[in-house]
Amino acid sequence: MRYTRWFFITILFGLVSLPARADFQVFACEPEWAALVQEFVPDAQVTTATSYLQDPHYIEARPSLIAAMRGADLAVCTGASLEAGWLPTLLQRASNPAVQPGRSGLFFAAEYAQLHAPHEHVDRSMGDVHPEGNPHVHLSPDQLPAIADSLAHRLGQLRPEASGDILARYIRWRGRWSQHRAEWRQKAEALQGHTIVIQHTNFSYLLDWLGMDARFELEPKPGLPPSASHLSQLLTEPGLMHVDAILIASHQDPQPANWLANQIQKPVLVVPGTVTDSGETQTLAGLISMIVNTLEATVQEEPGGGL
Amino acid sequence: MFNRVVPFAMMPLLAFVNGAVANELNPDVSITLDGYYKQNDTALSHREEGFGLGHTELSLSAPIDDMFSGRLTTVFEEHDGEGEILIEEAYLQTNGLPAGLSVRGGRFLSQVGYLNSRHLHEDDFVERPAVYRALLGSHYYDTGLRVNALLPTPFFWQVGAEAFEGDQLSEGEESIGVYTLNTRVGGDLSVSQSWQLGLSYLNNRNIGAGEAEEEHDHEGDHDHSHGASYTGENLYVADAVWKWSPNGNAREQQVTLSGEYLYADDLNEYATSDDDHKGWYVSGVYQFAPQWSAGVRYGEVDLRAPHGDHFHSQSLQETDVMLAWSRSHFSTIRLQYTHQSDTGFSEADNTVMVQYVMSLGAHGAHGY
Repeated sequence: MRYTRWFFITILFGLVSLPARADFQVFACEPEWAALVQEFVPDAQVTTATSYLQDPHYIEARPSLIAAMRGADLAVCTGASLEAGWLPTLLQRASNPAVQPGRSGLFFAAEYAQLHAPHEHVDRSMGDVHPEGNPHVHLSPDQLPAIADSLAHRLGQLRPEASGDILARYIRWRGRWSQHRAEWRQKAEALQGHTIVIQHTNFSYLLDWLGMDARFELEPKPGLPPSASHLSQLLTEPGLMHVDAILIASHQDPQPANWLANQIQKPVLVVPGTVTDSGETQTLAGLISMIVNTLEATVQEEPGGGL
Repeated sequence: MFNRVVPFAMMPLLAFVNGAVANELNPDVSITLDGYYKQNDTALSHREEGFGLGHTELSLSAPIDDMFSGRLTTVFEEHDGEGEILIEEAYLQTNGLPAGLSVRGGRFLSQVGYLNSRHLHEDDFVERPAVYRALLGSHYYDTGLRVNALLPTPFFWQVGAEAFEGDQLSEGEESIGVYTLNTRVGGDLSVSQSWQLGLSYLNNRNIGAGEAEEEHDHEGDHDHSHGASYTGENLYVADAVWKWSPNGNAREQQVTLSGEYLYADDLNEYATSDDDHKGWYVSGVYQFAPQWSAGVRYGEVDLRAPHGDHFHSQSLQETDVMLAWSRSHFSTIRLQYTHQSDTGFSEADNTVMVQYVMSLGAHGAHGY
């Protein structure tokens, strides 16, 4: 058995050690933060843990993510318990001192936002409610500048030699964001007061900002998949005849939305819940413009406007 | 999201959130309720027929400071009407040592194999595969020290070593009765597919000492000590896992294929080179909707039960079929049918089982 044992020891400790890479490596929990980092530091090597086709609550701490986290100089995540099912395991397994909680290499966007609907008391019979508030803050036109501001400063702190460029890019981004926000504000006038059915609260910040009513949800409780009994109960809601459309994200199962759409003869709008790899929706501003335009087109097609 | 209270301190957030401030410094408390009904007794099983409680656990965990975090897990188990409380985990874990190193000390689950380091309530079947029940007592935990290193490669590659007291596996004189070596590699094949391979070696020095007069009862399959019923000086484990979900969106659908091979030799001072324990299993689980999963598992184990200066051959083949429904991430109800065929066991049988696994309170993040 002696040789077998040495064979194992050789496999275990024999090979090892590629030289560490010198470039700036960023681990982004969600694509929206990857897009922002790339906006401010275009030469950063960014690994994104999730895509717009995935539900960011349900990611596994799989080997490739542990390896990416090990080399990260900065990890950018949403926080507010959105990644509580996988990020703690990733951080522990990757044992990277730079990105441990409390260090400057770990950035939580939710820490720089005023979250909607925080709860003093939660229990699980309420469904998957985050005590900190709704974490899907990346589509908030008003809150994103504060998050971007903090992120740009953090990036500058970690890369002092490039901090001037980072700040300049941030200021240009901020200017463009304000222009976009003015456009969305204008379009919001047509959307004000219209009602939309959603599956989960992931578009809530934007819909609130647009003055739309999104009180109908396909999920019986946050985080539980839509059930037949909940959908039939939803059908009896008197307000449902006034809705303009059902809005769901690309990663959500379209079947419940399609079923309800058939019953009430309203369209289903499927839009990415976050930025995509290519096309007009690869930046947050592009994504919000696309969602606002889609909503605008739907409301205009509706005879009587739905009010 | 699986976790109401953030498992690592998110202190600056407190400025914005009024709720639950007083709780933030308390450890996360989680309770797992596991109960079942089993139609017939089966071989090598830790669950008796009829209604019973399985692995009921109470776990406390929290960061200790910016360097350490800790966890205590106690398990309540009942055998033949007698309850007992066991300490399964009581460890400290370092956070972010340099050079990808991490250290764990105290009592914890050994990282040999794929299933062993996972908590039992994370499993997809009511019981661990037969080879795990025979060679590792379902899950081998002990008191000792672990050092792991994550290598700076572009793919995932971890190496680790553990040293244990060893008494949880077999009684003996050695002060360090068990040591283990382990390596694991893994990565993504595409956005939808990921994989992991592992090799482990466990050296049980209490057996090498030669004096271990073990009290194996004649049947070998009715041992309620929590150690393994079948041991050898050397144990080798090879494991493989492959997971697939459309676009990587595990929320809607996921397929998990996993398999392990375990081999133990140098069983005691009477053992010849032909005397060894070996076994394997392959498991496939398909989560076909957010709340539903179905799975099949087949496993075999060939054992040499020591009996004085000679051995008796025993073997067991086991097929499990299960269907599970999870209302939320915190509740699971499982229906399972197990078919056993054997040589040399008295209790092998087929059985239907119904099990619930419920998580109360904080729910720690799961591994791969």
